[in-house]
Amino acid sequence: MIDHDTLLEVLELGEQRRAARRAFLKTAGIATMAAGGVSLLAACDANDDDQGTPPATTPPATPAPTASQNDVDILNFALNLEYLETNYYVSSVFGTPLNPQLRTGVGTQGDVIGGRAVTFTDPTIAAYAREIAADENQHVVFLRNQLGGAAIAMPQINIDGGANGAFTAAARSAGVIGPNETFDPYASDENWLLGGMLLSDVGVTAYKGSARLINSPTIVDQAAGILAVEAYHSGLLRTMLYRKGLNAPVLRVNAGKISDARDLLDGPIDLDQGITGDQGLPASTTASNIVPADSNAIVFGRTAAQVLNIAYLNRAAVTAGGFLPNGANGNIKTSANNA
Amino acid sequence: MSESDQLIQAFDNRARRRDDRRQLFRMVLGAAAVGAGAFAFTNEAAAQSVTDNDVLNFALNLEYLEANFYYYAAFGTPIPTASIGTGGIPADSLPINAGAHVVPFTDRIVREHAREIAADELAHVNFLRSALGSAAVAQPQIDVGITPDGAFSTAARAAGFIGASSATAPTFFDPYANDLSFLYGAYIFEDVGVTAYKGSSSLLTNKTFLDAAAGILATEAYHAAIIRTTIDQLGAQPGLKAATVRDDTELVSNARDSLDGATDLDQGIAYVTSGAGPTSNIVPTDANALAFGRTAQQVLNIVYLNKAAVTAGGFFPNGVNGTIKSSANNA
Repeated sequence: MIDHDTLLEVLELGEQRRAARRAFLKTAGIATMAAGGVSLLAACDANDDDQGTPPATTPPATPAPTASQNDVDILNFALNLEYLETNYYVSSVFGTPLNPQLRTGVGTQGDVIGGRAVTFTDPTIAAYAREIAADENQHVVFLRNQLGGAAIAMPQINIDGGANGAFTAAARSAGVIGPNETFDPYASDENWLLGGMLLSDVGVTAYKGSARLINSPTIVDQAAGILAVEAYHSGLLRTMLYRKGLNAPVLRVNAGKISDARDLLDGPIDLDQGITGDQGLPASTTASNIVPADSNAIVFGRTAAQVLNIAYLNRAAVTAGGFLPNGANGNIKTSANNA
Repeated sequence: MSESDQLIQAFDNRARRRDDRRQLFRMVLGAAAVGAGAFAFTNEAAAQSVTDNDVLNFALNLEYLEANFYYYAAFGTPIPTASIGTGGIPADSLPINAGAHVVPFTDRIVREHAREIAADELAHVNFLRSALGSAAVAQPQIDVGITPDGAFSTAARAAGFIGASSATAPTFFDPYANDLSFLYGAYIFEDVGVTAYKGSSSLLTNKTFLDAAAGILATEAYHAAIIRTTIDQLGAQPGLKAATVRDDTELVSNARDSLDGATDLDQGIAYVTSGAGPTSNIVPTDANALAFGRTAQQVLNIVYLNKAAVTAGGFFPNGVNGTIKSSANNA
């Protein structure tokens, strides 16, 4: 039985610590921004007495026994994807990738290749980018805190917008661009939406596919919360592609091509959809297709191995490539053999 | 302001919204869904003892409600009678729904979204009915009409969008009147579906059901994102009550929050400011960027439009069907 008053005190202390952390971050700058780690909190304690910072009640650094190895592996797999997404969105907004303090952990720590700030022209798109960046960054913090000492390090990540970037490779295979053209997701609002769609739907299908494999009901609950947020993000991006596609039909066409390319990678079953479709309605009643779902209106799921086919941009069973040039960290790292 | 300062402040402002909510947690002994360390969370409804069928039937009631609203909006009719079960009550058999009608959309994008969501919600009804088989509950009485004492008008009144009583003009709220009113109507309960599935997912013991529920949860979140993003695109227009449409959504969220207990489980789409520029709030999340969950009882507070422990009201004038039918006591 947990003493609720004690629990609430702990929570409240956590909030004071957050306030202290923010004050600390304001002066410390980029190297320590938004990190949730124990060491940073300790630094806050030492530096921010004016906040009335309480004695250290640091969160447990290792998972409680309720987290089975199975669940740790699944969460670490998810953490790979969150590292990838966070770097894309944070770079898009701020021109700098994930805070180095949030990259440490088990396995070989990689670097971030590419990424730059987008000069947004539509202020609402810029506002969405900031929101998504903050959410994804927080997912990294959350999963790292939950995994404690078992958390994997950030793998090598390629989010480059140049000719040798993973986005260009994906766009070429999708036919969004020609075989010698470059796709730079940071070049415009529209390209940024397509780049985000490329990554976000994959995140949704990954969490959806994993839900049934998780042992702990508590972690199921948490994963469901992240799944929903990823679906909100994906819904936001697809809604904007559909809306902007009214006057720029190529956007809807390209969203469909990205979907088709993912489908080629992840095996014979159709687990992907673009943003237009007839929904089985009469031809006279055009409908959007923001939700990529089966005939029961249930969103698709992918196995971890299928997700890796897309992240690695490879239909074969491999352990590295594409957006993760040196492979995912953790025990789940091999893509499915769909060649 | 440097880039790093801007980044910090962007996160800062998003965090501040959450800090406001945290104060409320002190009032709630359960402190549900608040993290106190690795894997030490309490999930929303762990203490309940319900069967998978109970959970799915509860969800089916919500799908009946959503499907009928979107069907009226998109096509001008309630859902097909083949989908409401033996003894189910067709929405158009009730006088309260006489005023429901197809929305005269002017923005074709909104119309195309309405059709998509209508088709999805009917598919959810049919899927859950199929999964439950003979255990599926029939469609209960549903109020998706526009009468002054009806559910939509009551919810809109709580948000201040119409007159303070059913005798004060404007006396009723018509969510089918135009694009924006349709979006408001959808907004009133779309996030509720997300929180309901999120809150019950960990209660399901059958992994096949869990898999399906996760997929429906995601679909509901996509729908909520469609509605919230589309409202945001119209967001700078003058609101019905507040200065802007975006600010209006906060009024609806506050009204919902007044029903479901002391924890703040709801957020509108008003922007927060930061040194990096305005930041949207399409996704309602907690401090960990996880979507909120509600217990079934809290969901019933909202759809019954009553913060007390009751078994009927609001969108379900005779209550929901199934074993989970009583709202929480937050009075």
